[in-house]
Amino acid sequence: MEYRFDHLNETFTIHLTKEKNGFRARFRDDEYRISDLEIQENMISFTIHGERFAIYFARDKDKNYMSIDGELFTIKPAQISKSGARGISTQSDNSVASPMPGLLVKLPVAAGDKVEAGTTLAIVEAMKMQNELRAPSDGVVKKVNFKEGDQVDAFVAIVELEPPASEK
Amino acid sequence: MFKKILIANRGEIAIRVARACKELGISVVGVFSDADRDSYHLHYMDEALWIGDSSPQASYLNISKIIDVAKQAGAEAIHPGYGFLAENSNFAQACEESNIAFIGPNSKALSLVGDKVASRNTVQKVGVSIIPGMQGVGRDTKHFKEMANKVGYPVIVKASMGGGGKGMRVVYSEKELEASIAAGQREAKSAFGDASVYLEKYVEKPRHIEFQVLRDHHGNVVHLFERECSIQRRHQKIIEETPSPAIDEALRNEMGEAAKKVIEAAEYTNAGTVEFLLDGQRNYYFLEVNARVQVEHPITEMVTGVDLVRQQILIAAGKKISNKQKDFAQRGHAIEARIYAEDPENDFMPSPGRILYLNEASGPGIRVDSGIYQGWNVPPHYDPILSKLVVWAENREIAIRRISNALSNYVILGIKTNVGFLKRIMETKKFREGDYHTHFIDENESALIRQKEKIRNVLIAAALLASEKNSIMTQTGYATSAQVETTPWQELGGWEICKH
Repeated sequence: MEYRFDHLNETFTIHLTKEKNGFRARFRDDEYRISDLEIQENMISFTIHGERFAIYFARDKDKNYMSIDGELFTIKPAQISKSGARGISTQSDNSVASPMPGLLVKLPVAAGDKVEAGTTLAIVEAMKMQNELRAPSDGVVKKVNFKEGDQVDAFVAIVELEPPASEK
Repeated sequence: MFKKILIANRGEIAIRVARACKELGISVVGVFSDADRDSYHLHYMDEALWIGDSSPQASYLNISKIIDVAKQAGAEAIHPGYGFLAENSNFAQACEESNIAFIGPNSKALSLVGDKVASRNTVQKVGVSIIPGMQGVGRDTKHFKEMANKVGYPVIVKASMGGGGKGMRVVYSEKELEASIAAGQREAKSAFGDASVYLEKYVEKPRHIEFQVLRDHHGNVVHLFERECSIQRRHQKIIEETPSPAIDEALRNEMGEAAKKVIEAAEYTNAGTVEFLLDGQRNYYFLEVNARVQVEHPITEMVTGVDLVRQQILIAAGKKISNKQKDFAQRGHAIEARIYAEDPENDFMPSPGRILYLNEASGPGIRVDSGIYQGWNVPPHYDPILSKLVVWAENREIAIRRISNALSNYVILGIKTNVGFLKRIMETKKFREGDYHTHFIDENESALIRQKEKIRNVLIAAALLASEKNSIMTQTGYATSAQVETTPWQELGGWEICKH
């Protein structure tokens, strides 16, 4: 069977075949023999070619949080949309989002405002750090989805832009 | 001795202070903001009082409110922890005026050491070197240019009232000078409400070495050796160790005595830390006094056996330091790693949110000062520190191996943390050899990038979890959702599975 996962901006594929004494996994061009699979609450361990690995995991909605040797990975089942686009970008689709969850401390623009590339559209603050969100290109503010003082999540559009009138 | 102490802080340090109080038979009053109603530190308090809404200004920085609740609870002393009001001389003074003991330096010493220019002047008078530069706030561009030429480039522009890297600018040539001064002033104004900046010689490849000092109200003063804090990101320490691999016995004694002189000159009382910069030629320069219990205090406790928070309380209660300098020694090696809710793979962005799973490290020689629990929602309003992992071992090499293993088993799932990044630092050749300085992280960027191979095992694990869930489904036919939820791996539904 084939399993597809998203991690950061990449999609990864794992082929898994059940065998008599475990599994055979294919990742990229390599094959791995997996044996002695053990699954406990929040921990999975298995042996690949004689080497033992233990990975902690926890799940929240569609996200899987995993930790191996202290390294954290958040992976999701692959999202496949009709357009072929995946993931949420902070700047590509004419919207501006915060890379971290936090408090919206400043929102100096309103719908209809003309902005130049680099104009500060919002300031989000979390854990004593302020993050300025700037316009990726010249444009007009189409929509503002929050107000000052709101709590915002990461990667959720705060301000939506459209190209300047002349380019329409 | 005090019967009741109010702890004007939150998180791991509030818990650390509460432990020391309880061991002394003192009852503890905790405080909390709206965002901290479910916070871990409240479990350690005998009573807890609300001090305001979630913003730090309305709660943990609210002097009059904290004094009010301390009076209301009948607390005889306040321990401020670190950060928030710990080094605020107005707060120390407000405590003094309300007849509440401030567990920290007297307000006069606190305002002296809080003013960088004034403290440099005091230190120079007792013969401790400072980095060559201005004696006071820079007057005008001409003054800055003259001083820069006198001490030689590179120079650094710093905020007079500053800290934490705000308002700092390194300048390599005269043509960058004017713009850097203006930028430093702007940043200083917005961060500290005071645009004053000064200029000094920039020490290249410096090591940050600080000395722990205790001074009682009877004039007794001792130092408890050094802590090396050169591993920093954005001027914030993230790993500290003691003894420092950079100094020997002779230099240690000399710097320790210098630290004591500084504390005496400032007529400082209680626990304090004297920070120095050490260059490659064994020259050390006074930086500043940190007038609080430091985040990294546990490593000193591990090698000296002295409980620093207990000492703070005893000194504030008027007790004498009973031991002499010769009674103290460093035994073995200690390292601390600060665990932060931040994403090293995304420019160290803060990462508040819910902790879905927590497994804190433990074992011989391992100490965890933690302020978190599984299921808790880490609020976005405060410092991202979650906990501190501290190890002790017979020597430095074993201590590095010990903390590296402990980091592997320190699991916090649901939010991003810097655990993996800290472990990568421990594994670099430069750190293992003790060959590092404050620019370590910038200069070793490539060695600190996460290894790509690790993702393979994670993906295989995820596929195995999905497959096991799938096989259970096949065995039991169409399981109802209630049945599927009965075991943890069965909950891993929703995978995109493509049959071939």
